Amino acid sequence: MRWLGAFLVLSGAAFLLGDYHNDVYRKMLLWVTLALGYNFLFGICGQVSFSHFAFYGIGAYSVVILLFQLHVPLPLAILLGVAVCIVVALAVAIPATRLEGFYLALATLALAQLFVVLLNEGGDITGGTGGIANYRLPAMLGLQIRGPWYTGVIVFLLLLTLWVLVKLDRSWFGRACRAVRDNPEAAAAMGIDVARTRVAAFTLTSALAGVAGMVYAFVDNTVNPPIFGLENAFLLLFMVIVGGSGRHAGAVIGAVLLFLLPFWLSPLVGHHHVLVFGVLMLAAILLQPKGLIGLWDQCRHRFSR
Amino acid sequence: MQASILEVRGLSKRFGGLTAVSELAFEVREGEILGMIGPNGAGKSTTFNLIAGTYPASSGEIVFKEASILGLAPHQIARRGILRTFQHNRPFEGMPVIDNVLVGAHRLFTKNSHAEEAVRRSRAEELIEFVGLGGLAAADVGTLSFGQGRLLEIARALAGEPRLILFDEPAAGLAPAELDRLAEIIRGIAARGIAVLLIEHDMHFLLPLAHRVVVLNFGAKIADGLPDEIRRDPAVMDAYLGSHAAHS
Ligand SMILES: Nc1ncnc2c1ncn2[C@@H]1O[C@H](COP(=O)(O)OP(=O)(O)OP(=O)(O)O)[C@@H](O)[C@H]1O
Ligand SMILES: [Mg+2]
Repeated sequence: MRWLGAFLVLSGAAFLLGDYHNDVYRKMLLWVTLALGYNFLFGICGQVSFSHFAFYGIGAYSVVILLFQLHVPLPLAILLGVAVCIVVALAVAIPATRLEGFYLALATLALAQLFVVLLNEGGDITGGTGGIANYRLPAMLGLQIRGPWYTGVIVFLLLLTLWVLVKLDRSWFGRACRAVRDNPEAAAAMGIDVARTRVAAFTLTSALAGVAGMVYAFVDNTVNPPIFGLENAFLLLFMVIVGGSGRHAGAVIGAVLLFLLPFWLSPLVGHHHVLVFGVLMLAAILLQPKGLIGLWDQCRHRFSR
Repeated sequence: MQASILEVRGLSKRFGGLTAVSELAFEVREGEILGMIGPNGAGKSTTFNLIAGTYPASSGEIVFKEASILGLAPHQIARRGILRTFQHNRPFEGMPVIDNVLVGAHRLFTKNSHAEEAVRRSRAEELIEFVGLGGLAAADVGTLSFGQGRLLEIARALAGEPRLILFDEPAAGLAPAELDRLAEIIRGIAARGIAVLLIEHDMHFLLPLAHRVVVLNFGAKIADGLPDEIRRDPAVMDAYLGSHAAHS
């Protein structure tokens, strides 16, 4: 019931916005979706990965290539796209998570770089540096979803992602993830297969990022290499840390704030908003490691006395 | 005599040139408290780590419930029913006390139902009560005292309903009043039919508690027997000469 209410409110809002604001709004929703998944991986399972955004790109490119280069029907293209994400995630996670955390960071950094190189060098398949553009979401059951209606699809994706993550977080699997994050040796002594837990969390969140990427592919109806560069992988990390890692609400706050901040800051400081991000990030790490959500908890605590 | 649940035979562990455990043999019987004592560096924790699978053994045999567990990973050994506490507290810092205890029950979860979670949760609350942390279930582990942290280690290991529990110096750093309570808890665990392997430094604490005792020195077993026999054993007194235990 609450989920339905959230769906109606969040997608209804799209109909009140003009074209431009609707575009900003749905990109923000996509960032929130990504940050939620990344928060599970980084904040709850403690894995420092830089490939989350690359999986967003893998999902987006997969579905576009499958649909428009290979002419696969839409439902199959979605399934195959998810499969591609899962296979790539397993290929990275299985060797990397058996080593110390540092190697996962390196392996995922390498993957993110390699992905952009492959996109640029992919010739006709990826469209090279220019990417692929000017395609349209195929009609489903004779319906062409567009404009604010497509925002509804994004809201559905966001809520589905949140629902899956909240369910997992509250289950023994989520507890195992937190245990692995806090103390892998003690977790193993309690019967938790540490490597498997890490691989499962990595693969699952990577697949969720891939699905978000597929939905993104039809927001601008263009995919190109610069979108999926490393810069955004770091932005995702900033969002989770500034918002408060390990908390779903923190991921939402961090994503909304850091996504909207440049819009407010650009008129004031131009492109120096990156600097402001850096300062915010430092402030979060030094002054409030629990992020904005931690700050909010403290305030509530103080006033409830 | 009770059947044995754990049998260790010819167990050795070398770290480079150092032999931390050498040709060790002993058994733990169902429902008993087996004490293991020895001076600093005698190889007690190493023996634990070999049983729990944290270190691979250099040679020897470890049999639990009639099956070899040598070479299994720590999580596989835990799943078979051997759970442990650590010599230095290792809580899951980002979780409240109750969730720490629930992680201990990890091996018991079979499906992902609300009913199962509820059952485990109420069991975990009972255990928190049992070890004397009643009222702290929702507390942040960071707020616990050192002694409470020791008790949490015990509750967490118990939550997995082990057949054999390994305690690595649970008494270290506790105040005298806390020691009595701890002895009571350990007796209570054995009374539930759980075999206990208890490492301890302090003979005053261990001897009244253990049913049988194994004494290690420089990685090798120098004595084993009933607490009274150990008390009178000259080799043991030698190993402890100059330490507090020699005065007893
Ligand atoms: N990982 C390791 N690498 C190298 N040497 C080790 C390692 N672990 C233990 N040792 C050595 O093995 C010997 C036995 O150590 P162990 O920790 O088992 O002793 P202990 O009986 O538990 O002592 P304590 O009462 O101080 O806890 C010591 O000399 C120690 O330095
Ligand atoms: Mg020790």
